Amino acid sequence: MGTIHLFRKPQRSFFGKLLQEFRLVAADRRSWKILLFGAINLTCTGFLLMWCNSTNSIALTAYTYLTIFDLFSLVTCLISYWVMMRKPSPAYSFGFERLEVLAVFASTVLAQLGALFILKESAERFLEQPEIHTGRLLVGTFVALSFNLFTMLSIRNKPFAYVSEAASTSWLQEHVADLSRSLCGIIPGLSSIFLPRMNPFVLIDLAGAFALCITYMLIEINNYFAVDTASAIAIALMTFGTMYPMSVYSGKVLLQTTPPHVIGQLDKLIREVSTLDGVLEVRNEHFWTLGFGSLAGSVHVRIRRDANEQMVLAHVTNRLYTLVSTLTVQIFKDDWIRPALLSGPVAANVLNFSDHHHIIPMPPLKGTDESNPVTSTPAKHSSPPPEFSFNTPGKNVSPVILLNTQTRPYGLGLNHGHTPYSSMLNQGHGVPGIGATQGFRTGFTNIPSRYGTNNRIGQPRP
Amino acid sequence: MEEKYGGDVLAGPGGGGGGGLGPVDVPSARLTKYIVLLCFTKLLKAVGLFESYDLLKVVHIVQFIFILKLGTAFFMVLFQKPFSSGKTITKHQWIKIFKHAVAGCIISLLWFFGLTLCGPLRTLLLFEHSDIVVISLLSVLFTSSGGGPAKTRGAAFFIIAVICLLLFDNDDLMAKMAEHPEGHHDSALTHMLYTAIGFLGVADHKSKVESWFSLIMPFTTVIFFVMILDFYVDSMCSVKMEVSKCARYGSFPIFISALLFGNFWTHPITDQLRAMNKAAHQESTEHVLSGGVVVSAVFFILSANILSSPSKRGQKGTLIGYSPEGTPLYNFMGDAFQHSSQSIPRFIKESLKQILEENDSRQIFYFLCLNLLFTFVELFYGVLTNSLGLISDGFHMLFDCSALVMGLFAALMSRWKATRIFSYGYGRIEILSGFINGLFLMVIAFFVFMESVARLIDPPELDTHMLTPVSVGGLIVNLIGICAFSHGHNHSHGASQGSCHSSDHSHSHHAHGHSDHGHGHSHGSIGGGMNANMRGVFLHVLADTLGSIGVIVSTVLIEQFGWFIADPLCSLFIAVLIFLSVVPLIKDACQVLLLRLPPEYEKELHTALEKIQKIEGLISYRDPHFWRHSASVVAGTIHIQVTSDVLEQRIVQQVTGILKDAGVNNLTIQVEKEAYFQHMSGLSTGFHDVLAMTKQMESMKYYKDGTYIM
Repeated sequence: MGTIHLFRKPQRSFFGKLLQEFRLVAADRRSWKILLFGAINLTCTGFLLMWCNSTNSIALTAYTYLTIFDLFSLVTCLISYWVMMRKPSPAYSFGFERLEVLAVFASTVLAQLGALFILKESAERFLEQPEIHTGRLLVGTFVALSFNLFTMLSIRNKPFAYVSEAASTSWLQEHVADLSRSLCGIIPGLSSIFLPRMNPFVLIDLAGAFALCITYMLIEINNYFAVDTASAIAIALMTFGTMYPMSVYSGKVLLQTTPPHVIGQLDKLIREVSTLDGVLEVRNEHFWTLGFGSLAGSVHVRIRRDANEQMVLAHVTNRLYTLVSTLTVQIFKDDWIRPALLSGPVAANVLNFSDHHHIIPMPPLKGTDESNPVTSTPAKHSSPPPEFSFNTPGKNVSPVILLNTQTRPYGLGLNHGHTPYSSMLNQGHGVPGIGATQGFRTGFTNIPSRYGTNNRIGQPRP
Repeated sequence: MEEKYGGDVLAGPGGGGGGGLGPVDVPSARLTKYIVLLCFTKLLKAVGLFESYDLLKVVHIVQFIFILKLGTAFFMVLFQKPFSSGKTITKHQWIKIFKHAVAGCIISLLWFFGLTLCGPLRTLLLFEHSDIVVISLLSVLFTSSGGGPAKTRGAAFFIIAVICLLLFDNDDLMAKMAEHPEGHHDSALTHMLYTAIGFLGVADHKSKVESWFSLIMPFTTVIFFVMILDFYVDSMCSVKMEVSKCARYGSFPIFISALLFGNFWTHPITDQLRAMNKAAHQESTEHVLSGGVVVSAVFFILSANILSSPSKRGQKGTLIGYSPEGTPLYNFMGDAFQHSSQSIPRFIKESLKQILEENDSRQIFYFLCLNLLFTFVELFYGVLTNSLGLISDGFHMLFDCSALVMGLFAALMSRWKATRIFSYGYGRIEILSGFINGLFLMVIAFFVFMESVARLIDPPELDTHMLTPVSVGGLIVNLIGICAFSHGHNHSHGASQGSCHSSDHSHSHHAHGHSDHGHGHSHGSIGGGMNANMRGVFLHVLADTLGSIGVIVSTVLIEQFGWFIADPLCSLFIAVLIFLSVVPLIKDACQVLLLRLPPEYEKELHTALEKIQKIEGLISYRDPHFWRHSASVVAGTIHIQVTSDVLEQRIVQQVTGILKDAGVNNLTIQVEKEAYFQHMSGLSTGFHDVLAMTKQMESMKYYKDGTYIM
């Protein structure tokens, strides 16, 4: 999608590059299967389009577009394999994770545009209803249905699986859920089949096939040709309903928005940060999802003039790391030149000059706690040497970006919003060697306790 | 009956009111008799309506209603004794009663008039819905809080049923064969319209009563079945049961019995039921059952069933916390706040004002208006002259307008203020909209391509005489659009300079003044100065223009030389042209959406990073991320390591200055010293260590003295 550039000059090199990347992907065993399915899909779509032409049925055309959408989803799957293998380049410094988001967005939008086209066509058909030949209608329906279901169920399409789980339910799903709930009220035995959230793609395939069957029946029995147009409209509307939530979800990722389901956790963390000792306010906070699941963000923290910047930075980073994997924190002070002129660069944090209007009055003796220049955790000297070391900061080029894309948090049963992030945390730090202590760093369990600890370390209150 | 009625009011809640809150379910065994009674009454009501249809054939409708109301009033006064019992009625109440009477008269006039027109079966299906069904239908259709997917489904079923009745019920199939008194009509709808006109003109057809005496019996049955019995049983049942249950049990038997009677009314079996045996059997072909009626009856039953089921409002509450006892507390105020939004005219006025404020959205809006005007003229003319080509071209224009509407919305939304969720502001929507517009154009190009290939293989004969004026009109409209948009492109630089960073042009306005970069911009010269949204809209208009030109050219070729191959060739060419013009837009939008380093800033950022490296006290930097967020925002984050003896704020200031010069206007710089990494390693030693350590610390504090001094 969208990466097809047809320029005169870089053409050869571009196609050469494309071929090279394609070889890279094709080296993987899993992508063979996808390529095979893609080939079958192409032939299948070709036959279906031929039958659409021969039957003159727009409903079948609308259903064929779902098959074409399947082709897009296969391409998306290939892209996600490619993304796994790519490292960030200087130009694309965040990596290519967003490419699969873009692919999902583009394919859902294309499906909706196809549905829009169907709507337009059927509006024209209402004026002059052509005759429909039912010859290949049912055959085409069942070929498309079986192929769609086969593709859906045999290929593990991670981007689409994630989006269909994470996006809000479509109206089709809601209605089916409502119906099946009332059905399970009558026959409780069916609850294991019907009550879990239905896969939207399977649902729309089945519903479309059902509409086509009704069309076939009515045309055969009564020659109601208008039913064909009506069911085309129905299929187009269902396509809209199914694709819209997914394109909204992926579009919001592309728009760099904060996912609503993490806002609560983020608020909590930011409240924690703002109660840290020395922190006056937190502002310009931008948090957004990088790919599907991993959060990136930047925040500005204004601190008191006498606070230790590096310690506040460490504490803030430590808090927010539990949720935000690519984090940048800017610490700033108001009026930082004045104390520097007065008392020299190093002694900026000796004792607070008590007459600043914007400073929260604090017990003066707290300075001694902070002025411990080495670390915020005094007992560290007695503890065993840290599992990892930042002693050579310059060489440690990217200790925080997570690149272990092989274990990305896709289908880990992410029914609710916060789970991706907690599962992400387990492997999300990407810091080599921290594995030993990772077990309890899973965000939720230790935030309260850490919070308590923080109170005791940072802000002793009378 | 009245005493029973009164007694039940008191007995009802007492019998059902057990402990606990929520809807109380009365045991169904006690309700069985009421349900049976209700069903029976509804059955009798259906009989009464069929009877009155027969009656209306001989009695004029006004007389019929007069007699019906008179009889009902007579019995009601006897039963209820309104004048002798109860409070006296004030003057105010009299006025209300009068109004109610007038409205009731009009309604029953319409009701029975409908009965004469479309027969008892269809009248029953359309009219016999209880209040609760109608209310929930209206609330689904006209308010946002319909009450969940089930209600929406019910409303959809209702609409489908009505449509079935209107379109698929060919009432005339049999009626054509029979001698209809007023000639035959095509469907129920035209039937209705025809006679409505006839009724308004002369309202006197048929008053051919031979002996009023023979009509006493049928009138009495109608009065009892339709009016009195139904009224009492309904009110009693709605007291004993819930209203929703009552409606549900009531709708089912009446529709079913209507269907049955519709089939068997004129059959000899039901002759005993009929009080008027005069009707001969030749009428059996009038208003009979058809497939459409059966389907719509099924849908009516389903929708009545769904719509009358009690709605579960509780699902919409938001959790606000927990009570001291630990039970969750919900807030149900959401609906109330939703309804307090501004009125529609005011909303339209506000948004119009917003649209007209900015140059981009104003242009799109004007052009959209022009386009819509043209479309509607075309559609109207097409309908008037019954030209299919014009109408379908109008639909095509509407299809194109959707892209303009999207562009308008994007231009409008991009000026919204930043929120929690959209923390950088809404500017990026323009890029997304440009991307979608690009995809849209690609889809159009694809379809045009496919169709022209199909036509190349099998060129159809074209009727060209209608095409030229339409395409000339479209061409003029689109040319106006192109002028406006390319004109506006020059303008937007004067008005809001600096907001369009993607253009070569606006760089010369910039403070840092480096006009020497000729790289990056691969996109065409026409759309270069606009943001992605405007480029998308512009390309759309351009594609339309190309389409009109293609049509004109191919028409001329066909008319002059008879080259029918010219049409597909033209469209093939246009498809390729559209595709090629869209590719740069999509490529640029993709790059922005993928958070690429902005190509037009690449060189400056490189030099800036080199400069940063030369700052005194700086060891190195890592994770430099720079990306364009929207047309006006270029964001960046960078981590910088410094030696421990420099001031962080000074470094921040210097780096900020350098990067701001390079064009990054939303910066976050993290300055790290060695101490930071030590802190970090200390903080991540683990929870147990920290806990032990803090305990130790606290005991030390408390031990030394009481004042928290270490």
